[in-house]
Amino acid sequence: METKTVNIKINNSDYQVPQGVTILDAAKRVGIDIPTLCYCEDVSKNASCAVCVVEVKNARSLIRSCVTCVNEGMEITTNSTHVREARKTNVELILANHPKDCLSCLRNQNCELQEIAAELGVKETRFVRTKKLEPLDETSPSIIRDPNKCILCGRCIAVCSEVQTVYAIGLSNRGIQSKVSTYMEKGLGNVACTNCGQCALVCPTGAIVERDETDKVFDDLLNPEKYVVVQTAPAIRVGIGEAMGLAPGSLVTGQMVAGLRRLGFDKVFDTQFTADLTIIEEGHELIRRLTHKGTLPMITSCSPGWIKFAEHFFPNSLDHLSTCKSPQQMFGSVAKTYYAAKIGVDPRKIVVVSVMPCTAKKYEARRPEMMGAFEYWKERKGWSDDDAFYDIDYVLTTRELARMFKESGVRFAALPSEEFDSPLGESTGAAVIFGATGGVMEAALRTAYEVVTGTPLPDINFMPARGMEGIKEAEVDLDGTKIKVAVAHTLKNARKLLEQIEKGESPYAFIEIMTCPGGCLGGGGQPIPTTWNIRKMRADSIYAEDAHKPLRKSHENPQVQALYKEFLKEPLGEVSHHLLHTHYKKRGLFVWQQNGEGKNADQHAEKETN
Amino acid sequence: MESTQALSRELQEIDSVITKYKGKHGELLGILEETQLLNEKKYLSEDALNHVALKTGVPLSRIYNVVTFYSFFNLKPQGKHTVIVCRGTACHTKGSKSLLGDVGLILDCSKQLEEEAGSFTTPDSQFTVSTVACFGQCALAPVVAIDGIIHSNVTTTKLQKLLNKISKGRKKS
Repeated sequence: METKTVNIKINNSDYQVPQGVTILDAAKRVGIDIPTLCYCEDVSKNASCAVCVVEVKNARSLIRSCVTCVNEGMEITTNSTHVREARKTNVELILANHPKDCLSCLRNQNCELQEIAAELGVKETRFVRTKKLEPLDETSPSIIRDPNKCILCGRCIAVCSEVQTVYAIGLSNRGIQSKVSTYMEKGLGNVACTNCGQCALVCPTGAIVERDETDKVFDDLLNPEKYVVVQTAPAIRVGIGEAMGLAPGSLVTGQMVAGLRRLGFDKVFDTQFTADLTIIEEGHELIRRLTHKGTLPMITSCSPGWIKFAEHFFPNSLDHLSTCKSPQQMFGSVAKTYYAAKIGVDPRKIVVVSVMPCTAKKYEARRPEMMGAFEYWKERKGWSDDDAFYDIDYVLTTRELARMFKESGVRFAALPSEEFDSPLGESTGAAVIFGATGGVMEAALRTAYEVVTGTPLPDINFMPARGMEGIKEAEVDLDGTKIKVAVAHTLKNARKLLEQIEKGESPYAFIEIMTCPGGCLGGGGQPIPTTWNIRKMRADSIYAEDAHKPLRKSHENPQVQALYKEFLKEPLGEVSHHLLHTHYKKRGLFVWQQNGEGKNADQHAEKETN
Repeated sequence: MESTQALSRELQEIDSVITKYKGKHGELLGILEETQLLNEKKYLSEDALNHVALKTGVPLSRIYNVVTFYSFFNLKPQGKHTVIVCRGTACHTKGSKSLLGDVGLILDCSKQLEEEAGSFTTPDSQFTVSTVACFGQCALAPVVAIDGIIHSNVTTTKLQKLLNKISKGRKKS
């Protein structure tokens, strides 16, 4: 099919570009860069910042190139004095209300506003502040919002409502009072927010950031009383390189392990170990549901944003969720029971730090039911509740780990490649691919197929589960029983599958859902920027790592086999039930009513400003 | 006990409003407008908004977006009487700023007037004082609307008379 083209002039040169593209796209195609600020590829273009303005012959005023399509014969100028001055003025207007504390901002040197001001050569800020100072929103365990740094680009609202269909935030008021708000200013921790962090990922400034816990981890690393172990999620090894200045998608497993040892962790372990464990438990759960007429479809439960989404928006369908804890939480439970006993260290002295591509994991770690190890010891040793501890002590995002590396002078280029510690560092290729959309499905099928049929999957690379399509589906023949499976990423797509289930029309037996676009590799805690191009590069590295692993099926992990032999005994057994499985809560929409009226947002903020 | 009964009655009334507007153009605005009028204190309580969200499926953040955008909607209980001082350019040049100050003095609420920009209600719930950008009555500036009636060429004396009349009527009844 031939696309129609139009003839246009940009900066006095003639070009032919496809009809219907925006001026911005047309310029990009011919190698001319137009600066943008509020525009965010695939997320939003609401033309609020007016940085992308260009001159169009015979137009009455400057034109915003991100939302204006090219016409036959259009004559565009992208760099006239008029255009450059207008862009500068527009950025100055934004800067008038933006705090000038860049040096101590989490987004220092990774801020689009900073970048655009430098790029456009803004030399002065002539305009005075017109907005009142607003309190911070610190109600969420995962995400902190600073409305003062907000430039009202609308990206966070677009990603929250259109990509995730969560609608936790929206624009409120109007004119000079306009701001990004939660319902009744209750704060993210008191409304139906999934903590996915996609808002932080698309925020051009430091207005939405992860709750930084690096200082607490540094403190524990220096405490001789503590035995500090770290686990790293699959998506970190394809993300942390970027944050350390390497090319997007760089696979840096070995250097990451070496770097973590340099930081002083007593043991460097891998969440992939418990990803393999998850597959054993979840695979058996699926088989049990299939053979015992359990609730189907069963849906994966590794992605905490998705879990909270289901609890808020589909509270009547929670039976469909696998009862398996996520690999992060399984790791905490196993580290503070099995491993603690193995090395003879008091579990109360063990500190488990997770490095996750995810802001929702911070929330997950603080769910009150995530104290499996403490409950285990309490029963056996008679410890009192004063000794209570969480399975996971701290969750760091990829960005926070990069900050720790930088602060400690760890430079990737100078690091050798090192191996994870044993036994909780052992993993198979099936665990690596947990980091990409479709990965958990593929890993589960590699094991479940073999358990049911007694023979391995015809092709270990289960291609229908791979790729960035929003919803993927496939049919698998399990020894005569044909089951349909589906894979979805982003909560918008999850919503579609859940609505189908609630209508009783779901044809599937097994569904994998990941909260973030592209899966964990595109998580809310990953390096900024995360674009579709970068997601694909990270995915390529994930599948490359899988292909190179000597073992590629979870049930072949020798250390997981040892864990069952020495401790858990059998999948879905008594110990597993207490340590590796969990339950969910019907949360609904009015979260503040459960949290005690949601006043803590304001109170906290008042303290801050005082 | 009485208040929970009143609330459940209000929510029932909201239900019939929602049914009335279902599928119609501008559904949410219509529902919110009638819901506000249903309320004795002419405002949208949080309970009412939660109920509208639950029954219509409109996200809470979207509802908050709408009710904070339109100045028609009140999120706080309103006084029995409304006093709206026009702060448009024409009225400003004719001294509406000092008129607003006068309202503060007459109703003994100068402090709130200063602190709570926009709109506030006197502690006895009798008056809600607010400002608008323009009534479109610039030729008659300065104008003040009291209980929906726009008074033109308002002076301090005139304002005092108007407000005293309401206050006196209140004491009698």
